[in-house]
Amino acid sequence: MLFKRFLCTQTAARHRDRRRHRWPVKQVTKSNFSEALAEIKECIFNSDFVAVSLEKTGGSSAPWQRIIPIDTAETAYVKAKHNAERFQILQFAVCPFSVKASNKLIAHPYNFHLFPRDELKVGMPSYSFSCQSSYLASMAREGFDFNACIYNGISYLSRAQESATKVQIGDLLSSSCVGQSSSVHSVADSLFTERIKSRVRNWINACKDSNKTEVADALISSLRKLVSGSEVYGSRPSLTIDVCSERQVQLALEMLKEFVNVVPLRVPAKGVGVQAVRVVLTSSAEDKKLLEKEIWDKEQEQRNRVRGFREVIDLISSSGRPVVAHNSLNDFAFIHSKFLAPLPLTMHEFRSSLIPVFPHILDVNHLMKEIGPFDKMNNMLAAISYLERRFSAPIDMDISNRAQTDEVNIHGHNVLRVCQLFVKLCSILKISPEVPKDDHSQLSPSLQSHANILSPYSNNPENPIDDDVRIWTGNSKMVSTENLIFLWGFESGISARMLKDVLHDSHDVFSGEFDVRMIDRTCAIVVFWNSDFSKHFLTTMDSGAISSDKLKDMISDGLRVTGYETYKRVCESGLRKRDLAECLEQALEDSEIYSGVESQKEESVICWNNDEMINLDDL
Amino acid sequence: MKNHYLVRALTTAQTLTRTSTFSRRALCSSAAPPSAADVALKNVTTSNFEPALAELRRHVKEADFVSIDLEMTGVTSAPWRESFEFDRPDVQYLKIKDSAEKFAVVQFGVCPFRWDAHSNSFVAHPHNFYIFPRQEIPGDGIAYEFLCQTSSLEFLAKYQFDFNACIYEGISYLSRSQEEEALRRLDFLYKDDIPDSSSNWGKDVDTQLVRMADILFAERMKNKVSEWRAGLLRESNWGSESQGSLNDIKQTFQTTFFHMRPALVVNGLTSRQLKLIKLVTEKHFKDLAYVHVTGEISGSQPLIVYTDSKTDRDLLMREVKACQRKEAEMKIKAAVGFRHVIDLLSSEKKLIVGHNCFLDLAHVYSKFVGSLPLTAEEFVSAIQKYFPYIIDTKVLLNLDDALSRIMRTGSTSLSKAFGLLCPQIAPSFTTSDLADKLRVKVEVQVDDQRFSNWNSGAKHEAGYDAFMTGCVFSQACVHLGIDFNSHTPPLDFPHNENLQKYINHLYLSWMSGDIIDLKTGEPASESLVSSILKRRYMKIVFSNMILLWGPPSKLKARDIRDCFCKVFGTGSVTSIYHLDDTAAFVQFSKTEMVSDFFELKDKLERDNDPISVLHPMSKILEGGGIRAASYDMYKEICSSPVSELVFADQAEAVGIKLKTRVVETAIDVEKKQENEIFNRECEISCHFRTDEVVDSSYQSEAQWSK
Repeated sequence: MLFKRFLCTQTAARHRDRRRHRWPVKQVTKSNFSEALAEIKECIFNSDFVAVSLEKTGGSSAPWQRIIPIDTAETAYVKAKHNAERFQILQFAVCPFSVKASNKLIAHPYNFHLFPRDELKVGMPSYSFSCQSSYLASMAREGFDFNACIYNGISYLSRAQESATKVQIGDLLSSSCVGQSSSVHSVADSLFTERIKSRVRNWINACKDSNKTEVADALISSLRKLVSGSEVYGSRPSLTIDVCSERQVQLALEMLKEFVNVVPLRVPAKGVGVQAVRVVLTSSAEDKKLLEKEIWDKEQEQRNRVRGFREVIDLISSSGRPVVAHNSLNDFAFIHSKFLAPLPLTMHEFRSSLIPVFPHILDVNHLMKEIGPFDKMNNMLAAISYLERRFSAPIDMDISNRAQTDEVNIHGHNVLRVCQLFVKLCSILKISPEVPKDDHSQLSPSLQSHANILSPYSNNPENPIDDDVRIWTGNSKMVSTENLIFLWGFESGISARMLKDVLHDSHDVFSGEFDVRMIDRTCAIVVFWNSDFSKHFLTTMDSGAISSDKLKDMISDGLRVTGYETYKRVCESGLRKRDLAECLEQALEDSEIYSGVESQKEESVICWNNDEMINLDDL
Repeated sequence: MKNHYLVRALTTAQTLTRTSTFSRRALCSSAAPPSAADVALKNVTTSNFEPALAELRRHVKEADFVSIDLEMTGVTSAPWRESFEFDRPDVQYLKIKDSAEKFAVVQFGVCPFRWDAHSNSFVAHPHNFYIFPRQEIPGDGIAYEFLCQTSSLEFLAKYQFDFNACIYEGISYLSRSQEEEALRRLDFLYKDDIPDSSSNWGKDVDTQLVRMADILFAERMKNKVSEWRAGLLRESNWGSESQGSLNDIKQTFQTTFFHMRPALVVNGLTSRQLKLIKLVTEKHFKDLAYVHVTGEISGSQPLIVYTDSKTDRDLLMREVKACQRKEAEMKIKAAVGFRHVIDLLSSEKKLIVGHNCFLDLAHVYSKFVGSLPLTAEEFVSAIQKYFPYIIDTKVLLNLDDALSRIMRTGSTSLSKAFGLLCPQIAPSFTTSDLADKLRVKVEVQVDDQRFSNWNSGAKHEAGYDAFMTGCVFSQACVHLGIDFNSHTPPLDFPHNENLQKYINHLYLSWMSGDIIDLKTGEPASESLVSSILKRRYMKIVFSNMILLWGPPSKLKARDIRDCFCKVFGTGSVTSIYHLDDTAAFVQFSKTEMVSDFFELKDKLERDNDPISVLHPMSKILEGGGIRAASYDMYKEICSSPVSELVFADQAEAVGIKLKTRVVETAIDVEKKQENEIFNRECEISCHFRTDEVVDSSYQSEAQWSK
């Protein structure tokens, strides 16, 4: 055991040494979490912005499953949702920061190591999660300590999960639960009430008696305790009243109001509900307050244990500070699914559930696009150096972390890059990153116009379309999804150009102008500039009335076509095969069985470029 | 090797200072250092895989049997995918298949055992391989992905599993089918009719000269290259003279020879610039060829090569292509990695010993051979081809009377069996009533050092678990009356008559106690099974079962029973099994009732008259939102690659398709007198059955299984 440990620390150290950057990012695990929580709370409330950056166990597994320019808001969201549900966040970097004098950045970076450990033994927060070995390997190259993460990572529960477990853990203090007094009392109810009332009265009297006769024999007092059924809660005497329904709990609590100086507590049952009501006798009103505070503290501690890292999310949310991210759609899909609630089905619902929690989301990727088309949109390092080459916008970064240690870690640096990029972009775009001093719930108008736009671009280092983005970005003409057809079943390894050549003149619709792009190696899209063409072509293919021999040959070789609807269905269904062609084929097969189901037409305009944005406020 | 020892010495020092128990033990056995207790298991990672494999080859060749054990990242992808007693054997296999396909193996323990007649003991060589499904060769776009069950990772963490060693230095592997696929892809890439060896489908859009910078750069390169070419042609003495004209850019361009031809090395350029150079070379120079070689000696090197003629150029391209292909092939061969160990075990045809190892074998097959077949029968016949002799110590301990007497109680977990059967090796179990002469001596050899009293102590470390399994097996052999010395070596375990009954018999599922015979693919013969302590308290008739799913509140066993008894008569429901909160099985007393039920359900769904609406069954089905399907649908749902956490969600996810088929089955069912049900219903007075004894809620069952 020790041998292994020794080996692994060595490897981690070796990898660490190679790094050049040495920004002091505070690393937080289970052991220093509560201390860091208090610290970050102060930082968040003293800063103007909060940047976040997530390190996940995986991303899209096949080229077409990434968010690509042909995705509408809906399909992009569905793809992000799919990933957020499968993968896990291992590192969550949070960096509260402020900008002073337009280029002085004051940052407080924290990197939280997360692991979905089942702390409460209730099968939550996560039964299982997927990992992509390439993601783990690249974390390993950064010297990430997986042992520390799994042994010491901070766990959490989402808001939805917490309310689900609440029933199981139970609110100890019942004062909050005694709300409405039930009006109708049946005979059984009054019998029950009277019975326990007399029991409690006797018990209180007995307790007072025993206090008087201080010299009572130990044996006698213990016998008396046995007879009266009294127990001790801490140092105070207590009595347990067994109940068999919620109704009886209500009755008991109501009845107990008649007694002064008693504190009722609910004893949770193993499964759901309440097993018993425990009555604790206090000596005075002050003592009662003391006990109530004691219990409240205990509850709070329990809650912290339950919520874990989510406390940080709740802090960010309650601070109302604008949140800056690099890939907001993906990151917030993760945040929503892990810390708020399961992801809803549609983008619209997602937005209406997310925005109340995070009212201002700023995406550096979106700001980057304001500057102009840039190839390596998703690579933050490349983006920073690109800006450095083209613009003069020096940033003075001041990282101030309390409790500075000698140990400098490289993890969580991305969040500082997000800050840097954000400030740089603001300065280049002449956006004032000033936040109204008195009201943090408002953004300056210049920033507000950039807020809450979720970029449909995933953070994938391997761009499927290599360095040809210009063709995608250069032409900003909008293309309706109706103008797109998907094409597959052609010879594997064919290029878009070759395919275009083959298609040219094979049918009337191809005599005009059209464009062909490969989605992956098995599937291509054809873009018409006229939606009639695509419809015409699809019906021709369906009817089989094809005049051209060339096209006939291709069809007999297995060429298949379909419209955007099928692609949408593929995204929404769980079909996640490697090749898009396979998925489209299967979706078509399934739809043939249920040809009756007509999917309604929705807003379906996408941009034929990657300036495509989903403005959350517009939805 | 030296390093290794150094590290170990350091570890020993650490151990001495840190743990008092260890240091005490080290002091006791103050003989030859390092003492047996301190020697760690033979851990194998990428750093020492090659020598360890060579060593293992030797040990396996000499071995009489090899025990194995695996550690995985998880077992079940959803709670309802756990093994239940009401799982039919085909469903059990589907659940195992799902597990083996989704989770990764992170540690593989291999421990060859050899009988040493001189020392009258077994010599064991425990190996602990860290493996990790790293992607070593360029794939075809799909990322390697595996599932982790949070509780399993916690379990591994509890036993101090080193995740860093696994992810940083775990040995990767390719299955046979992955290797074949990679070689096929190679064939496609280096097909003769693709003229350009360096292009593949990923870069299908031609580089075009659009930017001003590109055009200028291309023009400049064109001049440089033609200058160099002219130089070559002017001077017959290539190597020395060509430098002159290119002095200014010497650091970038160097003349060299490539396949006996003069060539220009173009180093230090970006990939875009190289693309432009390629474009220029192809466009303007008929006798120059651009090649990008990646050699072991030279590393990655882009070259412009001068060729005499077009045929020479083609020849060169072919040569280059052949080289590249060879290189790629080597890479694939190297990526086989840990599978060499599996191939070794398979080719040596040794007896493989595991403990409850059906899932282990499924993992072995899916990771190192190919995708798992659809049925258990196909799987076992396939696995027999690779491992003709497999023995499961769990089967042995439960089926043999003498052994199960030693085990006394029901639990036959590995560590317990090890403690009871091999107390001389296990440290924590000291008392035993077994006579000493019956004890098998096991000596352990780690890196040429032999210990008669070795204990790494790391439970749930695959290598140590494999070692324990082997010890349990060898001790079990003694109890079965096998005398290791009476045989002339090698010991022929696979054909030993005392083992014949158990060889190639595995637990398909420990929960239900179903044993599968690998030779036939059939359940084990009655004679064998009947000797097992009968674990089932009620016979399960799968054809009498239907599956219900829906909201948890509507799936209370009592309510369901009441409702079904009202409709089908008291005693019509023999038992109700919960799969999870959202799904339950109802077992009828008669098979016809299943078809009756679906007929009724269909009718209720079709008709909207008051009788249907007020029918007690409607309360559950329509009003309660409960869906129902036959047992076969359960199998269908299990075979889906999707794994939703809750069964009701799973059923919905698997599909819309399902709905039609349920209806079909209902229609297919032989038409019976429709009125009968209603008549019967009238006769029934509402008896409420109070005995819920046969009801088994899934929770209590899970406890019982432990």
